[in-house]
Formats: sequence, structure tokens, C-alpha cells
Amino acid sequence: MAREKKYREPVNWKKELRLAPGYLIILLWITFTFVLLGWVLLASFSTTKEIFSNKLLASGLHFENYVKAWINSDVAGIFRNSLIYSVISCTLLIVICAPAAYVLARFIFPGNKLIQTGFVSAMGVPVVMIVLPLFGIVASMGILNNVMSNTVLLIFLYIGINVPYTTIFLMTFFSNLSRAFEEAAAIDGCPPTKAFWLIMLPMAQPGIITVTIFNFINIWNEYFISLIFANSDNLRPIAVGLYSMINSMKYTGDWAGMFAAVVIVFLPTFILYIFLSEKIIAGVTGGGVKG
Amino acid sequence: MKRNKGMIILFLTPAVFMFSVIFLYPIIRTVIMSFFKIDGITDPVARWQFTGLANFTKLANTSLFRISMWNLLRIWFFGGIIVMSLALLFAVIITSGIRFKSFFRAVIYLPNIVSAVALATMWLQYVYSPKFGLLKTVFTNLGLTDLAKIQWLDNDHKFASLLLAYCFGMVGYHMLIFASGIERISSDYFEAATLDGANKLNQFRYITVPLLKGVFKTNITMWSVTSVGFFVWSQLFSTVTADTQTITPMVYMYMQIFGAGNSITERNSGLGAAIGVLLSVCVVAVFWICNHLMKDDDLEF
Repeated sequence: MAREKKYREPVNWKKELRLAPGYLIILLWITFTFVLLGWVLLASFSTTKEIFSNKLLASGLHFENYVKAWINSDVAGIFRNSLIYSVISCTLLIVICAPAAYVLARFIFPGNKLIQTGFVSAMGVPVVMIVLPLFGIVASMGILNNVMSNTVLLIFLYIGINVPYTTIFLMTFFSNLSRAFEEAAAIDGCPPTKAFWLIMLPMAQPGIITVTIFNFINIWNEYFISLIFANSDNLRPIAVGLYSMINSMKYTGDWAGMFAAVVIVFLPTFILYIFLSEKIIAGVTGGGVKG
Repeated sequence: MKRNKGMIILFLTPAVFMFSVIFLYPIIRTVIMSFFKIDGITDPVARWQFTGLANFTKLANTSLFRISMWNLLRIWFFGGIIVMSLALLFAVIITSGIRFKSFFRAVIYLPNIVSAVALATMWLQYVYSPKFGLLKTVFTNLGLTDLAKIQWLDNDHKFASLLLAYCFGMVGYHMLIFASGIERISSDYFEAATLDGANKLNQFRYITVPLLKGVFKTNITMWSVTSVGFFVWSQLFSTVTADTQTITPMVYMYMQIFGAGNSITERNSGLGAAIGVLLSVCVVAVFWICNHLMKDDDLEF
């Protein structure tokens, strides 16, 4: 990805005028996005009455919506679950995929191309194609009846589903690193396994960070797998929990609380995005998907 | 090479093991399951009854499933046209040398990182709300009372509303792919064309589009892959379990196999597997057609 020019060009009004229709279209779209998110944010600080009469924030900021959502509706619980799932899965994904990606990128051996093709194809496989046998196995083993084993299962599934994407992403990254480093390490008598952990893995850090952000967002927002495999209410991750919460809040009529819950769910990925949007965008176009 | 053998095996085993357990084995088993009648999902293979293509013919004769396939086709086709045109338009604008490019790009991609449940709730409970909705407010203020009165979530408008909200969330991703494709085209082509007197529109038509063939292919494939898994949005937009306006094959499958729906007369996991196979065949077919219609190896740039 080319670096953006750092200096500001002087405003060339003729050029800007020619681009005016473009600006207009983009601004319209962006305004809509901001209105959508902004309104929800303001609504989450208002009372339900104010929302219905379209007078947001008329009586000041109501932080109690958040307190209610966090404690009474137990957003705290589903938030904690998702955080645990995402952090553990993202970490293990790197431990599992980085070595595999390195080997696939560096060594020629029978089956290399086959594994790569398999992983790339797996990225296009619909979940319906894998969910039935997995559920069959899991249910007959009785894994779903125990909270601990169910948690482990969920993390196992989140990892498994993201293995192909993570491996392929890191593979393109490793193949761009120079071989000179390993050669130098080999001359100094460092075994290849050690060279990988001490030299190559730290060098792949930018790629690892990008792919981890993606995995985090994916796992945080994951819905279908969790819906089927999270057998008890205490295990629900954020997306599934939010869904049932929204349904119940519609009946209790607590709209302000509902919007507060939506904002809480949305916040972690949004904060990540504010700080790392350039990395995320470069990741979408850089790895995995080739034009 | 010999020294590395141990390392290769050691490094590959965990990833390949995960891949085999989560993808390879289930895929093979799903294909086999689609040819059997299986009463309980946990039944051992010994109790499966081979029925050949009966699951597929049964699906073809179930009107609710046919409706769900029709809905999926509409989402894929109309949604695809909307998303691809907007994404391409935005990509062209973003790469045309405007200011604040990174900021615009970041905001357009923003909906993609939001949980689909949260995003759909924003649309359902705010934009389309008949009481305090954005559409209602905007149309009332513009004096368009007829438009303001539309109930966006009733049966006549639900599908369109669903599609629009879904497309809003998808544009950003496809825009990024188009934009990166356009940025890879050397600016020499455009400069040469400008010198020869071609206007922007002709440059787009005769330079950008032909050179973007590969990118189109990527985008259409990715769009198909995500469309096939259309589930969360349907679930949020439907009020009853078998809503004919919003049902998709995934929802149908979920209802049949896992759902608490009361419309189920018999449980047959083979049917669910057949749906999976059918959807996969659709994705492969789209991929194959794209590859044949758009051969991008005849152009070097």
C-alpha cells in the first residue's frame, strides 16, 4: 500500500469544482451514516419518552440507561463472554497458523499446493455445509451439557473457522520477507525452528496485528455458530445475547435501554476501528483476497 | 530439506488438523448425509436410510423452500446490482483525487465492522420506525406526506427494506476491493488517454472497466459467498418464524433442524444437508461462470 502524500497540495479550485459531483455523492452517504450512528448514540442517553416524541436529550444525559443495560439486562455477562472467546481464539489462531503459514510460504514439499488450495476453497464454504455433522458429533458426545466443555468447544470452533483465512493471510506476508535472515541465522548455527520463533515471527508482526484485528472483529460479531452451539444463556456471546435482549426490550418498552445495549455492543469494534482503520483497510485489500 | 522435514510436519500439523476437523470431514459427511434420510441428527450411520435424491426432490416440492430460494436469488441479484454499482461509483470517486480520501474511505467501510445484529437493530428500530423513524421525519419535513405514511416494515415493503439495509452494510467492503483494483492501474494509461482527448466517461468505459475484470470476479464471488449465508438479517426482520418475505434457505434449514418452529412435521437432517449441498453448488456455479465469462489472462498490465 502506497503511503499517502504528507504535504497538502494548494487548493486548485478548478480541479475541485470538476470533482464536485463526486464530493456531493460521498458526502450524502457519509452524512447518512453519521445521522444513523449519531442518532442511536443520542437516543441511548435519552429517555424512552423523549425518543418517541423526537426530542432527544431534552432532559439531559441519562447514563442510567447504560447502568440498567449493563447490570439488569446483563450486557456485562455477554460482553465478558465475547471478550474471553475473542482474546483466547485470536491468540491461539496465531500460535496455530503462523508456523503453518511460514512453512507453506518457505518450503517446497509434496502436498504444499494441495493444502493451500484446500484452505483457499474453505474460505468460500457456506457454514450450512459444515454445521450439521459438527453438531451431530458434539451432541452425541454430550459436550453441550457441560458449561466448561461447551466453552472450550465454542473457542475450538471459532479458531477452526478462522484457520484457513489466517493462514493464507500470513502466508502472503511471510513470502514477502527476505530469506537473508534465515540464511544468516543458519550460518550462525541457529536451527530453523528457533530461527522462526526468534527472528521471523517478530518480523511478521505487522501482518499478525492486522490479521488479529480481523479475527477479533469476526469472532466478536459471530452469530450463527454461537446461536447453534452455545447451549446455555450464560455462554452466549454478544451478538446472540443482544438479539434476545432486543426482543425482550421491545416488549418491556425500554427503547432507551435497547439503544444503550446496541451502543455497548458496537463500541469495542468501533474503538479498534478509530485507531486502526488504515491497517484494517490495508488488510482487506492486501491479504487473502487477490484481485 | 531433510533437516526441515520434522519442522514442516510439526508446524503444519495443528493447522491441518483444525482444517480437517472443521472443514474437510464435515463437508464430506454433509455430502453423504444429503442422500440419506436421518431422523435424529445424532443418529449413528447404521440408522441412516439411503433415499438417493429424495431429499432434493422433496425440497424442490416444498413451497416454503422454493420461496426461500427465490428470496435468496432476489437478494443476490438485486442486492448485487445495487451493491456493485454503488461500490464501483464510490471507488471511482475515492480514487479520482479528492481530498480527505482516507477519511471518506474509512467512514464508508465503517458499517462492515459493526455487528450485523446491532446494525440491523439501528435500521429496524430507528430508520424504519413508524413513530420516530428517520425516513418518516425526513419525508414529513420535505412535505411528502404520502411517502412519510409508508409502513416500511409491513408485508409489502419488508423485503425492499431488508435489502436496502443489508446493502448499506455491504457496500464498504466491495468498494475497498474495487478501489484497490483501480489504484493498481497505472496512471500512464489515463494520462495518455487524456492527451488523446478522451473524456472521463470514455476513460472509465474503455480503460477502467476492462482492466478491472479480475476485480469484478473477486467481488462477485465474495458477494455470492456472503449472500448464501444470509441469515441474521432475515431473523431480525421477520416477526414470525416462517415469514415468506424474508425467509432464506439458511433460515429454512435452521427452522427445520434446530428451530423451535411448530410447523415441523418430521425432522430429517438429510434435508438440511441437502440444502447445504445445494447452496455450495450455487457458489461453485457462480464462480465457474465468472471464470468462463471473464477471462482476465488475455490482458497484461
